[in-house]
Amino acid sequence: MARTPDLLPGTLDLLILRTLQNDPLHGWAVSERIQQISQDVLQVNQGSLYPALHRLEHQGWIEAEWKPSELGRRAKYYRLTASGRRQLAVETREWERMAHAIGRVMRLA
Amino acid sequence: MTFTDLKMRVRALLRRTRVEQELDEELAFHVEHETRKLIDAGMTPAAARERAQARFGSTARAAERCRDERGTAAIDDAIRDVQYALRTIARAPLAAVTIVATVAIGLGVVAVVFTVLNTLVFRVDQVPDVGAMYTVERTRADNGGRDLLTRPMFDAMRAETDVFTDAYATVPEIDLHVAGRTMVATLVTGNFFQVVRVDPVVGRGFVAADDARSGGNAVIVLSDKGWRRHFNRDPQVLGTTVLVNGAPFTIVGVTAAGFRGLEVDSPDAWAPLSQVAQFRPRDRGRDDGVGVEVVGRLKPGVSRAQARAQLAAWDSNRSAGAAGRPVSNLDLVPRRGTVPQPLEAIALFAPIFVAFGLILMIGCANVANLLLARGVARQREIGIRLSLGASRARIVRQLMTESVLLALAAAAGGFVISRLVLEGAVRWALRIMPIDIGDINLGVPAADWRVAVFLVVASVIATGFFALMPALHATRVDPVRTLRGELVKNARPGRARNVLIGVQVFASALLLICAGIFLRSMIAAATFDPGFRTADTLLIAIDNESTRTALTQAVAGEPTITAYAAVRPQMLAPLRVAFAGTGAGKTQVAFKSVSGAYFDVLGIPLVRGRAFMPWEGDDHSVVIVSESVARTLWPDGDGVGQVFRFEPATGLQRPGGILTVNPDAPADDATLQARMVTVVGVARDVRGFRFTDVREAGVFFPTGVDAGKTSIVARANGDPTLARQALLDRLTKIDPNMGTIITMRTVARLETFFLQIALWVSLILGGLALVLTVSGLFSVLSYLVEQRTREIGIRMALGASARTVTRLVLAQTTTPVLGGLVAGAGLTAALATALLASPAGAVISQIVRVTDPVAYLAGLGVIVAACLFAAWIPAARAARVDPMRTLRQE
Repeated sequence: MARTPDLLPGTLDLLILRTLQNDPLHGWAVSERIQQISQDVLQVNQGSLYPALHRLEHQGWIEAEWKPSELGRRAKYYRLTASGRRQLAVETREWERMAHAIGRVMRLA
Repeated sequence: MTFTDLKMRVRALLRRTRVEQELDEELAFHVEHETRKLIDAGMTPAAARERAQARFGSTARAAERCRDERGTAAIDDAIRDVQYALRTIARAPLAAVTIVATVAIGLGVVAVVFTVLNTLVFRVDQVPDVGAMYTVERTRADNGGRDLLTRPMFDAMRAETDVFTDAYATVPEIDLHVAGRTMVATLVTGNFFQVVRVDPVVGRGFVAADDARSGGNAVIVLSDKGWRRHFNRDPQVLGTTVLVNGAPFTIVGVTAAGFRGLEVDSPDAWAPLSQVAQFRPRDRGRDDGVGVEVVGRLKPGVSRAQARAQLAAWDSNRSAGAAGRPVSNLDLVPRRGTVPQPLEAIALFAPIFVAFGLILMIGCANVANLLLARGVARQREIGIRLSLGASRARIVRQLMTESVLLALAAAAGGFVISRLVLEGAVRWALRIMPIDIGDINLGVPAADWRVAVFLVVASVIATGFFALMPALHATRVDPVRTLRGELVKNARPGRARNVLIGVQVFASALLLICAGIFLRSMIAAATFDPGFRTADTLLIAIDNESTRTALTQAVAGEPTITAYAAVRPQMLAPLRVAFAGTGAGKTQVAFKSVSGAYFDVLGIPLVRGRAFMPWEGDDHSVVIVSESVARTLWPDGDGVGQVFRFEPATGLQRPGGILTVNPDAPADDATLQARMVTVVGVARDVRGFRFTDVREAGVFFPTGVDAGKTSIVARANGDPTLARQALLDRLTKIDPNMGTIITMRTVARLETFFLQIALWVSLILGGLALVLTVSGLFSVLSYLVEQRTREIGIRMALGASARTVTRLVLAQTTTPVLGGLVAGAGLTAALATALLASPAGAVISQIVRVTDPVAYLAGLGVIVAACLFAAWIPAARAARVDPMRTLRQE
C-alpha cells in the first residue's frame, strides 16, 4: 500500500471543509472524493478522518444528519454550516498565502 | 468553547449509549461501503471485507479518538474506572473491608482532634460578617500585665470616635452560684445584640434602657446552653426570675443554639453591664473602675490600620492632660469568637495531632503493605492489560481510582468513628470528673464543613501515601514475561517493607512508653500523701460577707460536721509572701491566717509548742511556723518562744501548679504590718498538692471564723460527699448565692484525674498502634513465608533444621523492629529531656515521671512480646514446610 504523504497539520480539516462545500456527504464519500480529485496522491488516513469530522462538528463548522444512503442503510451526512463557510474562506486564504510563500522559497532561495 | 460544542458535550454525556451506537454505526458504514467498492472492483466478498477492515485500521482506536474529540473521554474513562474498581473491590471484599476499616480508624482518631481544634480555632459564631469584629485593647506591658479599659472610657470612645459602626463593652464569664449550681454570666452593654446583629429566638434582646447607668432593668437573656442546663428547655421560661446574689433577675429572652457571643464557650446567660456590682459584690461601689473588654464592628471601608491610628490619636489626646502616657498603646485585635491566640493553640495541638496521626500512619503503612502484596497478585491482570495496549498512565489512574474510592469510604467511616469517640469520651470524662467541680459543662464539639473538608483532604493524602506507591510499583511489569506466567516474585522492595515495619514499631513504642509513664505517675499520685487529711475534709467558701454569721452558724449546727476552722486566704488560692528576719538574716516565707482548730481539722500535727488559743483571735504578735521555716531560721534551737521580724512583701507566691484556682482573688490580709512576732508552735511540714497548687504556708497568724474574708475548712463525720450535700441544702436556704463547697477528696482526685485521662488516651492509642503493627507484621511475614516456600524447601532438603528456618524467618524482622524500638525510646527520652529543660519542666517533673525507667522497659517489653507473638505463627509454618512436597510442586 502506497504510503500516504503526511499532510501538513491542519490541512485535513481544510480538505474536509472544501469537499463539503457543495453537497452534504458521508464520511466514506469525503475520503473517496479527496482521493479521486487528488488522483490518489492524498489518501486520507481513515483512522484520522472520523476524529477530524467529529472535531469539526464540535467546532460548529459542519453539522450532521442521518439520511438514507445509496446503499440503502442510513448514513451520517455532514454539511457545511454558515460559520463553516466563513472558516473555509479563512483557511483557504491562509493556505494560499502559505503555498505562495513556500513556492517563492522553492523558486528563489 | 462554542455553544455547539457545549451542546454536543452535554448530549454525549447524557445520551452516552445513543452517541456510542451512532459512532459504531458510522464507522461500520464506512467499512461496508469500502467493502462494496472492492467487491465491485472484482474481489471476493471475504477478501474485500478483510481488505477494507485492514485499510481502516483499528475501529476501536478510531472510535477512541473520536471520543477524545468529543471531549468527554476523561469522564467516560472515570466512569469506566469507577465501574471497574467497584468490580475489583467486590471480587476481594475482605481486603477492601480491611483497608477501609484500618484507614477509617486512623482518620477517625485524627478527626477527633481536629474537631476539637476546629471549635477552638476556626469555628466562628453565628455573627454576621464576623470578620469586621475587633477587640480594642492595650498592648501588654513588658511584665505581662495589661491595663484594662473601663466603662467611662468605653462610653467616651463610643461617643467621640467613628471607626466603628457600633461597639459594645463586656465583662465576660462571671461565675454565679444559682440554686447550688454554677451559672456563667457575661455582662454586656445594652447594645450588644444590635452590634453582633443576632436576635434571641425567643423573647427579646437588651435595649439601651436595660443598661441605663441608674435605674437599669434587672433582666437577663439565656443562651441555649443556659436554657438547657438550668431550665431543661422549659418553654415557659420567659418571665421567670433568677436570684443573683439575692436580687431577682427576669429572663427576657433565649438565644439560638450555637450562638456563643464571640466567646470560645457560650456563657449560660447575658446581663446588662450596669448590673456589675450585683453580679460581682467585690466591685460594689467601684463600677467605673471595673475592667471591660471592648468589641466593635468596623465601619465598612475602614481598614484595621486606619482604625487603630484614629483610636490611638483619640487616646493620646485624651490622656494628654494626664501626665505620664503620651503615646497610646491601643491595639485592635480580630475577634472571631475563637481562642485569642490561634497560633498558640495550634502549636499546643501539634503534639496531640502527631500522637493521633501516628495511628493513621501505622494504618496506612499496613494498607500500603497489603496493596503492595495485592499488586503482585494482580500482576498477571495488569500484564494482560498492558499487552493489550493500555498505557501505564491509564493503569495507574485505574489503580488510583480504586484507592480513592476506598479512601472516600474510609473518610465516611472515619467521620462516624470520630463522632462516636467524641460522644463517648465526653461522657466518660464527665463521669470520672470529680462531682463537686463537675458543674463544668463539656459539650460534644460539633462537626462542620471544615471537619468534612479535613477528612476528605486527609483521606486523599493518605491515599497518595498508601495507594500511589503500590500503583506505580504494580505497573512496573514486563507484559511478555507476565503472560508467560513468570511473575516478578521479588517485586516488593524489601527496604520499603522494612521501613514500614520500623515506623510502625517506632510509633507503637512512643505511645506505649507514654502510657507506661502515665500509669506509673498515676500510681505514684494515688499513693501520694499531701501531709494533711483529705478523706473527710471539705472546703467551704464564703463569698458574701453579709451572710457570714448565719452561714458559720449553720455550719456549726450541721450534725455531719464534727469540726471546722477558719482559713484566709482560701485553701486553693495562692498565698502572699513576706520576709522573716532574724539577726542572722532574712528568708522569704508564704503566710496565711488560720483559727485555732485548723491544724486539728486538717490533721497536721504540731511537733512543738501549742495551737492558737481562741482568745488570740486577731492577735498579730503570735505565729506558728512550719518545721522547715523553723529549721531555716533557727538551725540549732527548737523555734518555740523565738522572736523574728515579719515584713509583708508585695506579690503572691509564684504559682507552682498547673491548675490555679481563682488566680485573681484579691489580696487579703492587707492589714498586716511589719512587726516583731513570737513563735508559739511549730507545725509539721505539709507537702501539699502539686497539680492544683495547694501549698502550705510557712508562717501562720491567728484569726477567727468571724473574721472577714476567711473561708472554712471542716471535717465531716463519715462520707464527705453526703456532708457536702447536706451543707449545700442547708446553706443555700440562707444564701442562694453562697460560695462553692469542695471536698478535699475532689481536690485530691484532681491530682489523678488528668493523669487518668492522659493514661487512657495514650493507652488506647498505644493499644491501637500495637494491634495494627502486630497485624501488619503478621501479614507481611505470612506473605514472605509463602513467597519463599520453595527456597525454604530447598534449604531443608539440603539439611537445614526447623530451628534454622524459624530463625531465618524471625531474622527478617529483627532489624526493623529493633530500629523502631531504639528510635521510639530515643525520641521519647529526647522529648522528656526537652520537656524537663522547658520552663514548665519543674512542675511537670513532679507530676509526670517522664524519665521513669520502668515505664520505658515495660513499653518496650510489651512490643517485643507482641512482635514475637506475631512472628511466631509464620515462623512455625515455615518450619513445617515439607521439602519433598515443595520440590515436587515444581
